[in-house]
Amino acid sequence: MSDEPLPLAGLVVLDISSFIAAPAAAAALADYGADVIKIEPPGDGDPHRNSYRNASYPPSEHNFPWQLDGRLKRSLALDLKTDGARTILNRLLKRADVMIVNFPPPARERLRLRWEDIEPNNPRLIYCSLTGYGETGPDRDRPGFDVTAYFGRSGILDAARYEGGPPGLSLPAQGDRATAMTLVAAILMGLRRRDQTGKGGWVGTSLYANGVWANGTSAAGALVGAKLPPRRGPDKPGNALTNLYRTQDDRWLQLLMVRDDRLWEKFCAVIDRPELLVDERFTGRPERRAHAMDLFAILKPVFAARPYAEWERLLSGTGIPFGVIGRLADVIDDEQARHAGIFADTTNPEIPRTVNTPIRLGFAKPRTAGPPPTVGQHNDEVLSEAGFSEAEIAALKKSGALG
Amino acid sequence: MTETALPLAGLRVLDISSFIAAPAAAVVLGDWGADVIKVEGPEGDPNRRIMHDSSNYPKSPVNYPWQMDSRNKRSIVLDLKQADARAALDKLIAKSDILICNFPPPVRDKLRLAYDDVKKVNPRLIYASLTGYGESGPDRDRPGFDATAYFARSGLLDAQRYEGGPPGVPGPAQGDRATAMTLVSAILMALMHRTRTGEGAWVGTSLLGNGLWSCGVIAQAALVGAFLPHRPPPDRPRSALGNIYRTEDDRWLQLTIVRADKLWAPLCRAMGLDSLIDDPRFATEPERRARAPELANLLSDTFALKPYEHWREALAAHSVTFGVISRPQDVPDDQQAVACGAVVDTAIPEMPRTLADPIRLSFASQRIAHAAPGLGEHSEEILREAGLSAQEVAVLRASGALK
Repeated sequence: MSDEPLPLAGLVVLDISSFIAAPAAAAALADYGADVIKIEPPGDGDPHRNSYRNASYPPSEHNFPWQLDGRLKRSLALDLKTDGARTILNRLLKRADVMIVNFPPPARERLRLRWEDIEPNNPRLIYCSLTGYGETGPDRDRPGFDVTAYFGRSGILDAARYEGGPPGLSLPAQGDRATAMTLVAAILMGLRRRDQTGKGGWVGTSLYANGVWANGTSAAGALVGAKLPPRRGPDKPGNALTNLYRTQDDRWLQLLMVRDDRLWEKFCAVIDRPELLVDERFTGRPERRAHAMDLFAILKPVFAARPYAEWERLLSGTGIPFGVIGRLADVIDDEQARHAGIFADTTNPEIPRTVNTPIRLGFAKPRTAGPPPTVGQHNDEVLSEAGFSEAEIAALKKSGALG
Repeated sequence: MTETALPLAGLRVLDISSFIAAPAAAVVLGDWGADVIKVEGPEGDPNRRIMHDSSNYPKSPVNYPWQMDSRNKRSIVLDLKQADARAALDKLIAKSDILICNFPPPVRDKLRLAYDDVKKVNPRLIYASLTGYGESGPDRDRPGFDATAYFARSGLLDAQRYEGGPPGVPGPAQGDRATAMTLVSAILMALMHRTRTGEGAWVGTSLLGNGLWSCGVIAQAALVGAFLPHRPPPDRPRSALGNIYRTEDDRWLQLTIVRADKLWAPLCRAMGLDSLIDDPRFATEPERRARAPELANLLSDTFALKPYEHWREALAAHSVTFGVISRPQDVPDDQQAVACGAVVDTAIPEMPRTLADPIRLSFASQRIAHAAPGLGEHSEEILREAGLSAQEVAVLRASGALK
């Protein structure tokens, strides 16, 4: 890593968005040097400031999601419904390079925040739009969330289930964060084109399109009429030697013995069941496949009798492929995660570590995050940079435009 | 769309990668105008055969996954283990802007394809690296796949399960495609850096890093010691009115009733369960919560009697809010999937529609997909463009270095 300036240093980004996908894109731009100004409603600010109290979030006293999505931003509290706020916004827009919005289209129209409203003010601006379902079509005005637009509508949850079982589950903001990387790519394409032509432009994406993209293999199959075969649950394996088994300590061991022609004897020795070698149901591969359920019934209690650590010791070095379904409690201290640069230290004592964006550059490191801003923390600073006098700022506060 | 020039027109990309995440990033660059050359070994990218090799892929006479991950690319076959093939590759590297590589690090060293090797040939080159687990550390040489590195190791599958149930199941290549957008963002940052400094760079990402980024909320929670309890299964929900139910035709409805005080009676009427309205067991929200499994069983039995279409109409008629878990096969006929630009036409007769990447720009449209290349289809054309004579090409062919 050299001391070259960060690749996005000098860019001013107005993050006029809420919740997760769009603000997470702004956070990624900030990681790599952009000056991100978060414009929030006075008072409570972005409702995402309270997401950590949501029942689907892991319970904590610490506002961990806000640290993640609010990092490295400055906050400006503006009541966009007031004329005074519009004066401020127009002045900020003149100096901005990127603006990120995720209001549904009717709200954009009402607030005069569409690209066509903004373009005359700054034709060099990259206007970045996130929607749930796209900019046109029957559902364009429908608010879209990760679980409905990215996961439910795209077919991912339907595909992520075992035969006969309920649909799969998604985790809080799982699709939002993946979508953020698409927004970053779209913005960078806009900036590249501006470098070449001097012109700004509209760029964007939707949660729905990102869900379909992630589910692209199955969706491309559906486009030619191919249907995903149902996934057999671990209690009904087609091959008992490539299956999931629960261990004594409630871990799930992935047994992946594809070459059971070579490994069967060794396996029977490792699990100390030599009698299986002479059991006529399991003498060859075809027999083991044909009696997969019998073999499963034998192996299930075998694996359930020992904790995972013991299985790891027994199976390591045997050539029998296996793995474990990782748990976050282990991942946060995983040496490999440290090498891959996945977590980063912060300078916020309350939340000393955070999750990096997955972008890695040989010539620059992401910035270290401090505590995220309080609502309107940088009002005076941002406005005076934009040329407002102290008296003007005081008047805007008094009028309620500035929170 | 106001301009025909695509933002990545004029850039040449060498896609020396296999399977899905890295090649999908090359697809996105090609969508926006880059000239993508796929460099394959004599056997070809194994992704050409994955539909047949993997039991988790929907089968079709059309090789849709290969079409999707190779659209608009040209193919050259070089046996990089042979010295003259490797020398020919250097001629291509000298004339390229971006190289995408996902060999495990030991293979890169053996083929002299580490960044330090190729930088000498072309210091302006952007080298984009994809790994399973990062560029250093105990697992850096381990081949990483979507299911193992993005989903299992990151803790995603462990978290995506119902209480007491098996781990979740990912859809094919779901994490690969999300990771592709990160790699595109990383490449675009390096292009910006090159525009300013004239220098090339190494950029990259890992599947593990992307898995953890996408579950950033719960990963950040784990970093402050907070964990999410597994969700109770649909037959034992915390609330019967915020739960999923199976219909007679094996569809799943998501009931998402927040204002239960207002919607309890309409729900009972919509379901033909009028007698429940005044049933003292379920008269108030605290009682419905206390008896959630009992209520869920009643509703579940009723939903199972009629098909999805019946319930859609009945619930809508009583203004009861609900969602549906779409199946992949629903997406092609979803008008909104076309409106948001996810489903687009191709120039491939056997596969007339495909999935666009999720980036949208006002100033340019993605290129229409042409058929994926045959193995080595453009070998000669590409080398002639790089300045080799017809005779030199013939010599390479005769030696088996070029196919």
